[in-house]
Amino acid sequence: MSWARTLRLLKRLHWVMLIPILLALGVGVFFIYSSCYISHELPVQSFYKKQGVWIGLGFLFYFTAALYDYRRLGRWSWVLYGGSLILLVLVLIAGKQMYGARRWLMIPGTGFGVQPSELAKLATLVFLAYLLSLPELDLSRFSVFVALLGVVALPLVLVLKQPDLGTSVVFVPPALIMMYIAGVPLRYVGTLVMIGLVVVLLTLTAIILPDRLELDESTRETIQRVIPLTEYQQDRVAVLLWPDRDPLGAGWNKNQSMIAVGSGGMMGKGYLQGTQNILGFLPRLVAPTDFIYSVIAEEMGFVGGVFVIVLFLVIMVLGLQVAAATPDRMGRLLCVGVVAMLFCHVWINIAMTVGVMPITGLPLPLLSYGGSFVLTTLAALGIVQSVYIRSPRRIFG
Amino acid sequence: MSQELSERLNAETVRIRIFLGVIVVAFFFLVGVLWRQQIVRSKEHQSSESRQSVRRVRLPAVRGVIEDRYGRCLARNRPSYCVAIFVEELRQRGRLSHTIDAVEAVVERLSMALGLPPEVNRDDIARHLQARLPIPFIAWRGVDNKALARWLEGGAVEAGVDVYVEPVREYPQGALMGHILGYVGRAEPPSDGQKYHYYVPEMQGKSGVEKTFDDVLCGASGGQLLRVDASGFRHDVLAMKPPTEGHSVRLSVDVEIQRAVEESIKGERAALVILSPENGDVLAMASAPSFDPNLFCPSISHDNWNRLNTDANKPLFNRAVGGIYPPGSTFKPVVALAAITSGRAEAGQVVDCIGYYELGKMRLRCWHKSGHGPIAMRKAIEQSCNTYFCALGVLCGYDHIYHMARSIGFGERTGIELPGERSGLLPNDAWKRRVYKDRWRPGDTCNLSIGQGALSVTPLQMGMYMVALANGGTVYRPRLVLDGSRDGEVLSRLSWSPAALSVVRNGMYDVVQAPNGTGKYARVPGIEMAGKTGTAEYGSRTHRRKHTWMTVYFPFHRPRYAVALVVEDGLSGGRTCAPRIKALVSRILEIEQARREGTTFAEGRG
Repeated sequence: MSWARTLRLLKRLHWVMLIPILLALGVGVFFIYSSCYISHELPVQSFYKKQGVWIGLGFLFYFTAALYDYRRLGRWSWVLYGGSLILLVLVLIAGKQMYGARRWLMIPGTGFGVQPSELAKLATLVFLAYLLSLPELDLSRFSVFVALLGVVALPLVLVLKQPDLGTSVVFVPPALIMMYIAGVPLRYVGTLVMIGLVVVLLTLTAIILPDRLELDESTRETIQRVIPLTEYQQDRVAVLLWPDRDPLGAGWNKNQSMIAVGSGGMMGKGYLQGTQNILGFLPRLVAPTDFIYSVIAEEMGFVGGVFVIVLFLVIMVLGLQVAAATPDRMGRLLCVGVVAMLFCHVWINIAMTVGVMPITGLPLPLLSYGGSFVLTTLAALGIVQSVYIRSPRRIFG
Repeated sequence: MSQELSERLNAETVRIRIFLGVIVVAFFFLVGVLWRQQIVRSKEHQSSESRQSVRRVRLPAVRGVIEDRYGRCLARNRPSYCVAIFVEELRQRGRLSHTIDAVEAVVERLSMALGLPPEVNRDDIARHLQARLPIPFIAWRGVDNKALARWLEGGAVEAGVDVYVEPVREYPQGALMGHILGYVGRAEPPSDGQKYHYYVPEMQGKSGVEKTFDDVLCGASGGQLLRVDASGFRHDVLAMKPPTEGHSVRLSVDVEIQRAVEESIKGERAALVILSPENGDVLAMASAPSFDPNLFCPSISHDNWNRLNTDANKPLFNRAVGGIYPPGSTFKPVVALAAITSGRAEAGQVVDCIGYYELGKMRLRCWHKSGHGPIAMRKAIEQSCNTYFCALGVLCGYDHIYHMARSIGFGERTGIELPGERSGLLPNDAWKRRVYKDRWRPGDTCNLSIGQGALSVTPLQMGMYMVALANGGTVYRPRLVLDGSRDGEVLSRLSWSPAALSVVRNGMYDVVQAPNGTGKYARVPGIEMAGKTGTAEYGSRTHRRKHTWMTVYFPFHRPRYAVALVVEDGLSGGRTCAPRIKALVSRILEIEQARREGTTFAEGRG
């Protein structure tokens, strides 16, 4: 690619969209510092610096993705998809075991690790956008719908095997949203959603009822076997329904996060002043990652919390604007997919920190500490730029 | 662009808009939840935030010291080193028994490292964990220097273990003044409405001055608001109110005289009081047998407590204020004062003692079986003639005797600053009618006149009575604690006729100074004393026992000391008490001599 061409493409970049992204990343670095400066461990204290490095690297990904023609990416997406599937299998065999799950694939000799599930998320999204935009594919056919589901289900099952419930949760909704927008009949998508809801309701009932009905042990065991969640996951759900059930165990993180958010009040306790975080009630391990939003809400209050939500809303509105303005179907589906993925992450993460969703290990995009996730998020947002750069401009639009 | 594609794109754009709508609604929902948590339920979350991280700690105040009248220390605090285990820091996941195991293991390791045998067992740990988890668990109290040195050398460093200092009451004079000082014990948890997460028990006076002046000595406990982190470690101090040390209390007692007093009654069941005739100050007060208040520091053992409580001689009982005895002949001067002051008799009244006093069909024996013959009042006091005083009592009438005794302070509590004081009993007609359903009879007057019958007094009252005789009629409230003023509290100034006072004083002078006075064994060369012996009988007719008395004041002119001594189950006042008074007075004179020569504590400092 010639320099002149690169420059011409950069000129067409959606610079406005960079503002909320940079703001969110900046806020993230500040609050990673806030959540870690109190730690006694030096590596933890320097998380914010490491995050800066990851962000730098992430922007390399961002601009690479922006400059790389997404249409070519589409043609090669099956390789990407296949490769990520292989990595997902590999991580189950050779992944580093942490807290009872194999999620990390260590790069030999560097001490760094990557989460193949992050790559798989993006690869599946791109592959799906490519498939959905194929003009020869009749989306109204049920068999096509089933095949598309299969494409999503394959990496999903592998991620669930790790197990990583949090990441697997964000596989399905973006895929369904993309299918719906691409024109898969609502009755298919809707039915699947309904089935999902029914399963969720049945699961909840199965968790609640044995306690309420005071069933005997053997019946409970039978029910346990039928429920598609591990006992640990069930506890997470149960504490949502009864916050006081196990305040020192499964309910701890959720309660402490709620207390952190709630005690922040309107204006918060001030930067670096969040007592829940300083005193370690918000566990140090997850404060800079999954619970970064609690730290922000505690120290910056309702004002800060809403500001972060608005930042994400702006990014998503801009992303969907790009989608709507792009005549190329694959381009717009890619944008929709990226926005949908972002939306799922943001919504579930914030919902769990304020106590309306069960706790799952799901980071907040752009803000949470974590290398792989910064890279994939910025790469995904770069794809939106790639689509924007290459879409024909209307004079008024 | 084909028509079909354009339609398809438009349809997609509509669905994108729908998706956008869903996003906006979903985010609004989050903002709503945020509003509910941060604005509506903010207070609730803030209070649970402080509930889990803020702890109230009570900081006990250091108890004030107690000094004698010259500032010599009688009670103070010494540091005691405790090994405390902060159980929270050893908390294990899962069952409580894991934590108990961990604490037990730490106790075992410390025991090895410090060379101390374990003083707590598994049950103690379990009990502590259940009831008092947030408070440090004390594994050893009052650790000796050797173990402390091992600790300081770092041989026993363990997470969650620390040494802290606890003030322990100490009585440097040992067993001296046990009854006056009293002792301290663990206070009941305060009921001042303040809830403390960590309650640190304080010491509270349980008897003696420690009890009556507890509110002065105890000071004011402080408090601390601590912020603890998720693992229970102290993070910082939010607020601190330092405790105020208790005020010191200065007693009127003179330690050296007190020591002489306790020496003089050692081995008996006895009580001795020395008051100052100038202001009623208690210069010494002792009750034997006594106890060492140090036994109660930091806490008394079961064995010691049982021993003190089951001892037939009641060492915890302060006979000086709580013991009531018939005064016997020591009461006779009251009758003389009443008879002359009321005008019923003259100082020159003579009675012929024939060995007994005949009252109707009754004969009341004088101790002198063949009788004293015709005897005057001064001689009757010297010889303690029962016949004379029966006759004088009947002549005077019980009413006057009663009022005279009452005005001196018999029959009611003196109000000294000590717990357990009793009033004794000064009987009268109303009392007799109430208790015996009978009127007052002349026989009762006779009994009263020789200090027998229902009449009972405390040694302290006798001391007060001596004070009044010594200073010529001023009744002071006995004062144990100095408040800075030199004057004592005057209860009454009695207007005794000079004739009465003179004959009583001269009679009492003769008791000690005359060759055949009943108290002649108390005589000390070089000092003139006035005194009165007494031997009061009690118990059943077949098993008569005697409480023996001697009361003195000295020097005869310008008296500085008023003394009352009672020895339970003695032979007689003259034989049992007088020699002890002699020893005591000699010792006091030696002390005074030494002070004048400046070899011991100078009075000027007081």
